[in-house]
Amino acid sequence: MKVTFPHMGNAWIVIQTLFESLNVEVVVPPSNSKQTLTMGTRLSPESACLPLKLNLGNYLEAAKEGADTIVITGGIGPCRFGYYGEVERQILRDAGYDYEVVTLEPPDGSLLGLAKRIRYLAGKDNSWAQILKALRFAYRKSVAMDRVEDLIHAARPRLPIPMETEKLYHDAKRRLAQTMSDKGVQDTVRWVQENIRERQEELGTPPEGFQKPLRIGIVGEIYTILDPYTSMGLEEELGRLGVEVDRSIYLSGWVGNHVFQGLAPGYRSIKSYPSHAKPYLPHFVGGHGQETVGAAVKFAQEGVNGIIQIFPLSCMPEIVAASVLPKIQEAYKVPIMTLIVDEHTGQAGIQTRLEAFVDLLERADLQRGIGQTRGDVLSVEGR
Amino acid sequence: MKIGFPRALYYFDYFPFWAGFFHQLGIEVVTSPPTHRRIMEQGLKKASDETCLPLKLLAGHIQALRDVDAIFLPRMVSVEADTYNCPKFLGIPESLFPAVPQGMPVLTVTLNWRKGKRRVLKDLTVFGVELGKSKSDIRKAFLEGQEWQKRYQDSRGSGWDFEESIRKIERTTKGLADLPAISSIPPKVQTIDRQRIALVGHSYLTQESYANLNLVARIRERADVELTEHVEQKEVDTHLLGLRKKLFWNHAKQIFGAGNKFVKDQEVDGIIYLSCFGCGTDSMIQELLARKAREQHKPYMVITLDEHSGEAGLVTRLEAFLDMVERRRAHEGNISTYGERLDRDSNTL
Ligand code: SF4
Repeated sequence: MKVTFPHMGNAWIVIQTLFESLNVEVVVPPSNSKQTLTMGTRLSPESACLPLKLNLGNYLEAAKEGADTIVITGGIGPCRFGYYGEVERQILRDAGYDYEVVTLEPPDGSLLGLAKRIRYLAGKDNSWAQILKALRFAYRKSVAMDRVEDLIHAARPRLPIPMETEKLYHDAKRRLAQTMSDKGVQDTVRWVQENIRERQEELGTPPEGFQKPLRIGIVGEIYTILDPYTSMGLEEELGRLGVEVDRSIYLSGWVGNHVFQGLAPGYRSIKSYPSHAKPYLPHFVGGHGQETVGAAVKFAQEGVNGIIQIFPLSCMPEIVAASVLPKIQEAYKVPIMTLIVDEHTGQAGIQTRLEAFVDLLERADLQRGIGQTRGDVLSVEGR
Repeated sequence: MKIGFPRALYYFDYFPFWAGFFHQLGIEVVTSPPTHRRIMEQGLKKASDETCLPLKLLAGHIQALRDVDAIFLPRMVSVEADTYNCPKFLGIPESLFPAVPQGMPVLTVTLNWRKGKRRVLKDLTVFGVELGKSKSDIRKAFLEGQEWQKRYQDSRGSGWDFEESIRKIERTTKGLADLPAISSIPPKVQTIDRQRIALVGHSYLTQESYANLNLVARIRERADVELTEHVEQKEVDTHLLGLRKKLFWNHAKQIFGAGNKFVKDQEVDGIIYLSCFGCGTDSMIQELLARKAREQHKPYMVITLDEHSGEAGLVTRLEAFLDMVERRRAHEGNISTYGERLDRDSNTL
């Protein structure tokens, strides 16, 4: 058995760790690329959402490296993602790929069923204690991964040479992927911290009139938030434009909630979002629709300069969220922009819109500086 | 008190329940008129671009409700155990506030059968109390609503047209004489040389004759038509069994179960799946059903509606499909449908 799984940003680091600590052979599919998308789109229903197309592409590419079993998480709706596994299995089978698909969820609510599936993946040689230990370690790694990402978010607008920051990020990811000890994990985080501090010291004290970077909160559908290929490098791009980004969902928060059923809080818990969303969307709507609204409220209360919502074309929960965001924009006088991506989205288009948005925020920020309110500069395009 | 019920989306399946419920409570319910051009235009103006056609129509119907004291927009999370409605149903009414006229109150209540009957009754009671009704009033109204809904559901096999069945139910329950048999009910006996075409899809698309450009009537010119609603629940359930994982959307279950039955039914010569742009659940179900149809070499076509769908495109595609089915009937199915895969790409009208 050779296990593979779909990509979603840096999640591969954590998943790979999990299987390797259980001595299960695992194939990390090649990173998401144009080719992944083209291959996946060819097999997908035209109107499927973008993540499904990329998933299929990942499986096809992993098959070339001998993978024969797919692991994904599931759900019981109402978001489409919960039904991906079955649809993907049928599509692959018809296309002549003999994949076994294991969905990590309690089938029809049966925990025993879930245990069986885990057992199937982990093989006979691993005790439950070992499995638990591996899960815990992978989880701690995901928390560290999130901390590194956060540090990079802060570093991007503050350090002068973007290339260096990206290299630091890249190296940190590689180190995290390789290390199999808690010490190694902690060291990596510290190493990133020190690196950033050193570079800042080299810069000396900030010059007169140094402005704090603008802050933008990113909310939306988890796949598009976490996967830079899908978002056209949204975070990096904003960083280059001098913006510090924060986002509604971090991998460990999702893992804590989705996989550990809320038993582990994650680096940044997503638990408070529903209550933040309450005045605007009191009911959950599947996926992370309500979280998107809640996070937007939270960001607005924290005083970010702007908010960006991103989601794949036709994503149902996010469309609901998008239709209530204008109220938050109005209530908090915070500009909100919506980015919708599909397989035709071009880098250039996104870049232009980001530049325009940041431009708008800068002007608004300046005005606020001289004692004016932001008034009506709120008619941001995008809806 | 007079409340408005938009003639869109859940109207097409669940209106009987609400009509019975409010009738028993002595609250008058008015519906918006059948869709016409202005309703569609108003809807497009007030709904977000990204959403699907049925929600845009709902936005239009909300604005078309005149002379009412409030608009009723229930949050219908789930209508049976273990399933959900589409996520967009869960975001109603909030996502449709922009379409509600200034100053117009909105009434809403959550209906969630996932949590069982007691919970449903409890939620309805809280809602009823706000309307100044007593607990026992609500109980009665709930039963009445269920009765209406059941009658409607039972009439599915024979009832042709939703509007007609509603009128009929209303009349019988209000103790008025039954209407004479409705002439538009198609004869049950199949005329031998006519094709039999199954039309599957969300009720609010297949029954929405304005938006679907009169599709049902058009097919009926050349063929007998079967609808998702005509299939009995038991049969729907048996035809869901082949799935490894249970479907968790109520409508999707109906559509796939009925569609799968039609695929296997020798009497049915072809299947048309009516969908609309941006429908998330259809994007999955349509794929699953296409596979079944291909396995059985059953002619299968997807029609995807949007607000720009034109008559010319529809007629051409429909004619081509029916011609193909005709040819196949003539040759007793010797032609593989692989050569005529109409179910993929360029299904835009
Ligand atoms: S099921 Fe499809 S058509 Fe119906 S509301 Fe949801 S997305 Fe729209």
